[in-house]
Amino acid sequence: MGKSNSTRGRSPLPPTEKQFATSPTLTVPGDAGKTRSKSRSKSRSKSRSRKNKAVAAGAAGKDTSYKSDGVDDHDVFLLPLSDYGVMIGLTILALVVRVYKIYQPSSVVFDEVHFGGFASKYIKGKFFMDVHPPLAKMLIALTGWLAGFDGSFDFKEIGKDYVEPNVPYVAMRLFPALCGVAVAPFMYLTLKSVGCRSMTALMGTGLIIFENGLLTQARLILLDSPLVAATAFTALAFNAFTNQHEQGPEKAFGISWWFWLINTGIGLGITFSIKWVGLFTIAWVGILTVLQLWILLGDTKNVSIRLWFKHFTARVFALIVIPLTFYMAMFAIHFVCLVNPGDGDGFMSSEFQATLNTKKMKDVPADVVMGSRVTIRHVNTQGGYLHSHPLMYPTGSKQQQITLYPHKDENNVWLLENQTQPLGVDGEPINGTNAWDLLPEPQYIKDGAVLRLYHTNTHRRLHSHDVRPPVTEADWQNEVSAYGYEGFEGDANDYFRVEIMGKKSRGAVAKERLRTIETKFRLVHVMTGCVLFSHKVKLPEWASEQQEVTCARGGSLPNSLWYVEWNESPHLGPSAEKVNYRKLGFFDKFFELQRVMWKTNAGLTDSHTWDSRPQSWPILRRGINFWGRAHTQIYLIGNPVIWWASSAAVVTWVVFKAIAVLRWQRNCSDYSNVTFKRFDYEVGTSVLGWALHYFPFYLMKRQLFLHHYFPALYFAIIAFCQVFDYATARLPGVRGRESSFINKIGAVAFLTLSAAVFVLYSPLAYGNPWTKAECNRVKLFPTWDFDCKTFYDSYDKYTLHTVQAGTAATPSGQAVDAQAPGHEGGGAQEAASVSDAPQGEPRIIKQEKVEYRDSDGNLLNEEQVKALEGKVEFETKYETRTRVVDEFGNEIPNPEELRPAGAAGAAGVAPPHPDVEGVDKETVGSGSVGDAPAAGVDDDAARAPPQDAAASRDGEKEAEINQPKPASEGKEATVHEEL
Amino acid sequence: MARSSTPQGSLRQRNVGSKKGESTVSSPEPDISKLAKATQKKTKVDNERDYKIALAIITALAFVTRFWGISHPNEVVFDEVHFGKFASYYLERTYFFDVHPPFGKLLFAFMGWLVGYDGHFHFENIGDSYIDNKVPYVAFRALPAILGALTVSVTYLIMWESGYSLPACIVAASLVLLDNAHIGQTRLILLDATLVLAMACSLLFYIKFYKLRHQPFSKKWWKWLILTGFALSCDISVKYVGLFAFVTIGSAVLIDLWDLLDVNRAKGALSIPEFGKHFAARAFGLIIMPFIFYLFWFQVHFTILNRSGPGDDFMTPEFQETLSDNVMLANSLDIQYYDTLTIRHKETKAYLHSHEDHYPLRYDDGRVSSQGQQVTGYPYNDTNNHWQILPADGNQETGRNILNHDLVRLRHLATDKILLSHDVASPYYPTNQEFTAVSAEDALGKRANDTLFEIRIEHGKKKHNFKTVASHFKLIHNPSKVAMWTHTKPLPDWGYKQQEINGNKQVAASSNVWVAEDIPSLAEGDPRRNKPERKVKSMAFLRKWFELQKAMFYHNSRLTSSHPYSSHPYQWPFLLRGVSFWTQADTRQQIYFLGNPFGWWLASSLLAVYAGIVMADQVSLRRGIDALDHRTRSRLYNSTGFFFLAWATHYFPFYLMGRQLFLHHYLPAHVASCLVTGALIEFIFNPDTADEESIYGPRGGPNKHVSARERFAGRSMKGAWIACLTVISIAIAGWYFFLPLTYGYPGLSVEQVKMRKLLGYDLHFAK
Repeated sequence: MGKSNSTRGRSPLPPTEKQFATSPTLTVPGDAGKTRSKSRSKSRSKSRSRKNKAVAAGAAGKDTSYKSDGVDDHDVFLLPLSDYGVMIGLTILALVVRVYKIYQPSSVVFDEVHFGGFASKYIKGKFFMDVHPPLAKMLIALTGWLAGFDGSFDFKEIGKDYVEPNVPYVAMRLFPALCGVAVAPFMYLTLKSVGCRSMTALMGTGLIIFENGLLTQARLILLDSPLVAATAFTALAFNAFTNQHEQGPEKAFGISWWFWLINTGIGLGITFSIKWVGLFTIAWVGILTVLQLWILLGDTKNVSIRLWFKHFTARVFALIVIPLTFYMAMFAIHFVCLVNPGDGDGFMSSEFQATLNTKKMKDVPADVVMGSRVTIRHVNTQGGYLHSHPLMYPTGSKQQQITLYPHKDENNVWLLENQTQPLGVDGEPINGTNAWDLLPEPQYIKDGAVLRLYHTNTHRRLHSHDVRPPVTEADWQNEVSAYGYEGFEGDANDYFRVEIMGKKSRGAVAKERLRTIETKFRLVHVMTGCVLFSHKVKLPEWASEQQEVTCARGGSLPNSLWYVEWNESPHLGPSAEKVNYRKLGFFDKFFELQRVMWKTNAGLTDSHTWDSRPQSWPILRRGINFWGRAHTQIYLIGNPVIWWASSAAVVTWVVFKAIAVLRWQRNCSDYSNVTFKRFDYEVGTSVLGWALHYFPFYLMKRQLFLHHYFPALYFAIIAFCQVFDYATARLPGVRGRESSFINKIGAVAFLTLSAAVFVLYSPLAYGNPWTKAECNRVKLFPTWDFDCKTFYDSYDKYTLHTVQAGTAATPSGQAVDAQAPGHEGGGAQEAASVSDAPQGEPRIIKQEKVEYRDSDGNLLNEEQVKALEGKVEFETKYETRTRVVDEFGNEIPNPEELRPAGAAGAAGVAPPHPDVEGVDKETVGSGSVGDAPAAGVDDDAARAPPQDAAASRDGEKEAEINQPKPASEGKEATVHEEL
Repeated sequence: MARSSTPQGSLRQRNVGSKKGESTVSSPEPDISKLAKATQKKTKVDNERDYKIALAIITALAFVTRFWGISHPNEVVFDEVHFGKFASYYLERTYFFDVHPPFGKLLFAFMGWLVGYDGHFHFENIGDSYIDNKVPYVAFRALPAILGALTVSVTYLIMWESGYSLPACIVAASLVLLDNAHIGQTRLILLDATLVLAMACSLLFYIKFYKLRHQPFSKKWWKWLILTGFALSCDISVKYVGLFAFVTIGSAVLIDLWDLLDVNRAKGALSIPEFGKHFAARAFGLIIMPFIFYLFWFQVHFTILNRSGPGDDFMTPEFQETLSDNVMLANSLDIQYYDTLTIRHKETKAYLHSHEDHYPLRYDDGRVSSQGQQVTGYPYNDTNNHWQILPADGNQETGRNILNHDLVRLRHLATDKILLSHDVASPYYPTNQEFTAVSAEDALGKRANDTLFEIRIEHGKKKHNFKTVASHFKLIHNPSKVAMWTHTKPLPDWGYKQQEINGNKQVAASSNVWVAEDIPSLAEGDPRRNKPERKVKSMAFLRKWFELQKAMFYHNSRLTSSHPYSSHPYQWPFLLRGVSFWTQADTRQQIYFLGNPFGWWLASSLLAVYAGIVMADQVSLRRGIDALDHRTRSRLYNSTGFFFLAWATHYFPFYLMGRQLFLHHYLPAHVASCLVTGALIEFIFNPDTADEESIYGPRGGPNKHVSARERFAGRSMKGAWIACLTVISIAIAGWYFFLPLTYGYPGLSVEQVKMRKLLGYDLHFAK
């Protein structure tokens, strides 16, 4: 037996090492698996009867080539023309199915909030932070830009209208759609490259086309469709490469071999540059590559060590160097695009921020001297500059506030005074705050110097005392305030000692004495020994939610560090030595951004109404509500037939494998059967892909969604097609195996079934009209929480009611009434309505007006505003409100305004806003029932869409959770700062 | 067969990667040459004797190092705060709650009981004096010290049992013996000594058990199997990290079973029923029996703690009623209609409160309110907390008890308003309903429905009486089915910073639970207050256990708060950070929990060396190059591999844990790493063992354990001894250098402290 193997022919061979080596490794538990399996196969198949000659058998085993038997060349470039015809036909079908009514809905859906928003930021070049790598987002931005999008639309909330602001959203959606279309031919070729029949490949492609979930994702501006396409491409390339590899030495380093190897690398790069989930794809390719190398290592006959290293290096180059370079190149482009400051700045270090356009800073004098005017910045929190303003703490000492303020401002300027006034030439102390300017020589500030910090605008000094801070009421923290008046000599509580942190400071001089930017120091309060400290705690509205500054004993070191960012003194003329932020190179920026992304990603642990845990995915327990309006809904749910069939295929293989391993240990010679072996290995590869794209999610504590399952689903579908192919066409004893009759019938039947189910659920994918009855009919489980009550009873109503629905539910009709809480003093609100004038029905006109309101929302008249001017800050807030006017331009009285002010929750014209948690739908609903005090039961009950009426009737329903909500992955990153 | 017949150097070695907890492998080994046998007989006695002498010396040293200066410091140190306190609770028999299982704490209590301590001192703060409080703390500390000293002996025994040479045994044991972390942790009233000893014992017993694999189901075989199970159960009954030992032993057992299933086994294939018997025996000995022991400690726990104590609040009222002198028993009264109640929120301890003021028209976020009377949560006693409970049907008859699921109204006595909830958003939560109070006229008139509330007693049966204190209940607003709820964020000034009360739609949440605290309308001497003495109720053990277990897991998962000295698993093998246990400023003494860096780094680096050796061996085997003889390889994979497995299973799972971790979590893994070190010292410094290629005899003969002496018969051990002495002297140096930090004596000067900040350890008194 062993001898015959030594001729490395094509003829069906007894099990070669490779088969045995690879197949059991995929599941044998424990680290014992690999080696044991190999040795087992040998001892079993070759030398079972000749135990004592095992040595000889082993040696003989090594003569075999690493070529696997039962493998034919499945090069996808050599397919018969008919196959390409089928593939092109299917691609066209996919295109039709994906692009059908892609303009619908014409408003922002689900995470388009983020990814559309990022596109506009790319176009404007405003820096943002997101937890995903940039490739897909840049491509979306690119398509938008090519289609003429100028970035002026902000994609602020779900349901915001695209049509009126002329957003080329169809073009932007086309990009994911085309990615979705591309998955179809990828699937076809992948199945061909693993040796499936054309009919099976056709079925597999059909399953991709008719998968509701993939389709829903692909029709919207989301990242998952590009991700699935990239994963599919990688899977194709790697399967094709594996096929080349398995054909043994004569194919190695051939053109095809190199082509697919390099494409695998590129595919990995693309996948990884779209989402970090691409790491799982890398793991899949990595594990199988290590396995291939291990097999190569065992082939002592064909593969010399030198050759083995050639194999090794080729793979390192293609599978590590190429993807990494690609990934970094994407970030390089990302940095080139985003040159302006934006809302992502707060996540990055000051050095990083200084690379952005308007945040670039002029060089400043390096040495800080007594009498310097400086701005002092906090190191750790990006909270900004040590700041004071003429407002008092309402608590504690009631002295003037000290905060951290993120923007440049006059109020950030402090004058550094020595603890005693300097002596003049005559030996008399010079008085006044500019005393140091008059000295002949500058006095440098050394480590350990005691300073007073004089706030130049308000003439008060930084002060601390044993009073609890306003927010953090911990014993170990003291309040910091500004205290004194112009001409005040100061008191002992104004003294702060400078402690330079040598390790954090840059340059030898900066460790000795205070230098701008270079020196990081602590300010120790001399009287109490506490250290000036700040942390991510916001002060209440009375300080405009600026960050709290305290004096802490035992605060963490990074939060107690400060540095001088700007510095000016008469002693430091134009010739003085200048410094600036360290210039960051690409790698500095790249690694910093990676670190921040990782931290932010790990911090996304808030729960989301539509999130789900991994265990619910393979059984398709629940979907995601993307959008709902005008009695239509978009709800992400898979095609249950495909979904469950693919999960069943995975289970089938696992059961098969468990039995096979047990039988193998009990010495059954299953593995000598080539079909058995190939089934084990080929399906095993796909199941491994599935497992690697699925199980790691269990370890993630962040919020997860159904759409995270799509890459795993893709592998599961491949596995299903392979199982199907074996069962119907390759299993010995299957009737019609030659003509693949059963295969054809089966494929057509299953495809038809899937397509039919697809059609049943398609209104949820396309956002098409539907009826309650049909919806309820296909709602198989109560956990599928799409809302059937949304739909009308019959399709006729959709034509009849479009008019009414139009007014009630156009996104422009949203009353955005949940604004951020009002600010001290008052806020000017600007009411602007957009105009959208459908003919023959009440029009909406555009109008702008400025109102002043106080913090309680009461309207202020002009005198009051005048009186307040100068005393308080005005903040501008925009509020959009809808007025419905008739054809003559007369306003139709808005029911909300007719009501007494006590009316609950503002059951306006529009349904409550989905995205903003400030409004509760249920409150609205029952408002019309009449519970709310003085809630006028008027025509708004009729105006409110039936959906809300329904919700109100059914009092226990949690209305809030029915609303679509963007997955917070992006939102969190831009809105919250990590704590 | 695969194993024994497989020649060296071929790939056929099925067992190569398997890690059996065993020293000499299955291979049939009549392989010692006659010569060796002859010498062996002669040296047998001698051989055993030097092992024994070494064991005695090491054990004695272990006791010396653990007990030296054990009375210092005479103050409460670090977590003695907890475990000393728990021992006191046991002695006072008052119920307490802790996230760790009871066994380790019971041992302390037992120790205290032995020396006649009554548990009067509660170990409140680090630094409390033991002398002033008359606590027999030396006795308490002696227990972990004894267990810690025994750990050293057990380490030695593991090596000995596994058939390692004397230098190897000594190296492994002395690395534990001279490790400052082990010493430091075992001289104080802490649980880890018990934990580490139980873990080491489980390894030792399993090795003993495995060595008897050729006499399955013999008496001894059963003895060691049961003892392994017992050690495992002790391990997990001390702390839940003991679960890792189950993983270690479990993996070894699975591999063993897998080999038993092999048809080509050396001793012939097992039939499936036979295999089933093996399987069942192990399942019984290593799973079922330990679980029964585990439950047993809880039974002891419940039996001892029969009085009410600080842990009551964690448990349900049913549970609390099983404790004597519990407030529930003392104060629980049946509530009748027209009684006046004070109702308190269980979680935040705020009373249901109302006052004249109204909700403001408009909140900060622009939403509007009903402007009804405020209903708030107020933490202090006040007459505004008094609510009269009225029947829904208006029946005037008094003296009727209220039952579970009854519909009631609540009347605020001070303002004569009736509690109401309606579909208006609450001040902070737009999704929750506002609670307010309206005049009686409205309440019985047009708003009649909205003032109806259902009393829903937790775990209550249908006709349960509604009682004060004992009934945890939810107040469910009848028309809308929201539950009355409150949270700790205070209302703005208009609400006097009191707590917001609102209607929570998530009725099931445990934060909706309220308790009726008292009936102020009943005068002190009211006959209803004088009830016959009630008996302590009993509750089925399993129900109690299940409830406690649930509470423990729940609270364990919430232990995520940060601690200044917590560390991350990646820091442990490199010993990057310790824990400050205790300081005394006057004498500049401190206890800083830290391992012996030299021993620690040696052990960690040898782990890497081990991984490297195995990988290199695999690769070279794959290329058909065989560098190791059969026996050495089998020892490397099976015995040392088992130690390595123990290290890995006691280390890597910590990466998955979200809770705060400390250096002492690495101690069990450290013992395993010391074992690997000892084994590798022998592997590296010993000459090849007797060549055995020629002695493949007939297989299937009775297998006998081969001791190190037999293996190395006639070989020079000089290399190993030199290595051994070097390692020991380095370890002694490290131990001595860090001694002041471990024993808290003597105090150190600034320079001395600075010298010891090797890797920037955050020691005190560095300035």
